[in-house]
Amino acid sequence: MFKRLVLSGPINILFFINFLFFGLLFLYIGPYDTDILLAGAGLTGLMMLAYFIIVKAKMGDQYIFLILSVLTSIGVVMLYRLNPYYGLRQISWYGIGVVLYFLAYLIFNWIKGWENYGYLYVAGGLILFVLTFALGTKVKGATNWIKISGFTLQPAEIIKIFYVFFIAAYVKFPDKFKNEYIFLGLIYVHIMFLVLQRDLGMAVLFYGIFISIYYIYFKDWRLFYSNFLLAIPIAVFSYFTMTHVQVRFEAWLNPWRDIAGRGYQITQSLFAIAEGGFFGVGLGLGRPDYIPEVHTDFIFSAICEELGIFGGIAVVLLYFILIYRGFKISLTIRETFKRTVALGITLTYSYQTFIIIGGVIKLIPLTGITLPFISYGGSALISGFIALGILQALSKKSMDGEEVAIVGGQ
Amino acid sequence: MFQILSWTIRYLFIGMIYYFIFSIIRLIYLDIQSIHNRGRQSQAEVYLKLINRKDRLDFDIREFYDLGTVTTIGRNKSNDIQIMDKYISSNHTKIIVDEGAYFLEDVGSVNGTYLNSERIEDVVELKNGDRIGLGQVEFLFVKEVD
Repeated sequence: MFKRLVLSGPINILFFINFLFFGLLFLYIGPYDTDILLAGAGLTGLMMLAYFIIVKAKMGDQYIFLILSVLTSIGVVMLYRLNPYYGLRQISWYGIGVVLYFLAYLIFNWIKGWENYGYLYVAGGLILFVLTFALGTKVKGATNWIKISGFTLQPAEIIKIFYVFFIAAYVKFPDKFKNEYIFLGLIYVHIMFLVLQRDLGMAVLFYGIFISIYYIYFKDWRLFYSNFLLAIPIAVFSYFTMTHVQVRFEAWLNPWRDIAGRGYQITQSLFAIAEGGFFGVGLGLGRPDYIPEVHTDFIFSAICEELGIFGGIAVVLLYFILIYRGFKISLTIRETFKRTVALGITLTYSYQTFIIIGGVIKLIPLTGITLPFISYGGSALISGFIALGILQALSKKSMDGEEVAIVGGQ
Repeated sequence: MFQILSWTIRYLFIGMIYYFIFSIIRLIYLDIQSIHNRGRQSQAEVYLKLINRKDRLDFDIREFYDLGTVTTIGRNKSNDIQIMDKYISSNHTKIIVDEGAYFLEDVGSVNGTYLNSERIEDVVELKNGDRIGLGQVEFLFVKEVD
């Protein structure tokens, strides 16, 4: 049955997608460089091996990893096409990410009583924030990077996981944090640090996670509404005090007014999406390099240009399925802490996707944040794999054996 | 040359990504259907859970069955679990508890009982996560240990 399972079904489609993608890349980047084929084969081999382990060892939900693999494949191919250096780097990050995925899975199952360390998570998060300030370097207007002997690291990506664990620990034992106001204070300290780092996307993301979980678990409506409405004065205040918020907001309202300056990035992105049409101009035939930062924030526009709006919608749908799996896992868990962790991780990636895709298509003001699993960036990819490794571990108990049988039974 | 290749292959790419999505959404559909007719009232520790969800089965079946000391399965009315599948014999199989351990035994069925896709000959012990197949249906044996 396992043999049948591996040879048929989604993993096979994944293999063909990668085969075509890398075959085309090989022809695109001349002089015919066999490194690309090797990299592609390595990537696909790693995906299939990891998937095989997940199925064979009955590690719970099989689809999370499959969907991640397709997303990363699309990302790696686009990055390779933009710049082979980025592509190779991303593949090595992917390799590390997969190892950490399994490590996160094992460690999360191995250590018991994660819910007892609420204060530790807060401390971890805040220490990382302080370190970012002390050692941080300014990249693209935001002080959110630490440079350690040539490696750059974005601590906020790791803090995301601490933050989710912290909220979950509070939901499980509200009494440990004396009263609700201390909890709220700690949440706003997190958000304030992000605002001070000028990392607006992350600040919005953290607020979104907090308010959603608060809405789900707490019955005190007055406090919920006051937190919810607090967002408005904060937004208005930051608009009038911080110039970069103003810039972003104006570029959103009317990018055409200052097309050579503030609106340049967003208008180029819109041109790229429009150029793509329904089925795109074809891989390697577009000019996504006109968009600044195309390999991180704006990779979705590059996908839309070369694979068309159908390709773009396919990417959005992949995120939909991923998030659906997350919600389903969280619904099947009975224990509060684990349930909240699963929910928090799912919410993190759903909001993150919404914030950046909404930003590049000019639906909401643009805030710099990575598109999960597709954008170039080691920290983001690795923290994503750790987070979803934890989700995988959580899925293990809730659906033992069930999913294997569904595929096998067809 | 490359241009023509890229133009044609893009349709293939997009088609395949959608096919991938479709194959997963199909499973989601089956998933939601099973949530719909889920109705597990009691909270017993040991139970059988239906897992192979074909789109339709022409007989009534529940999502969960709790297990007692002796649980018999078959088409006959006298069985503890009555399943009107035409591939299931009147007295098909039974599950017995002995000192906390669960044993599966075929009681002379025509089409046989399968444990993890292998036909059983005599009494076998059940472990958590085992799949029991009989007739057109398959159950997951769940024994919660915590």
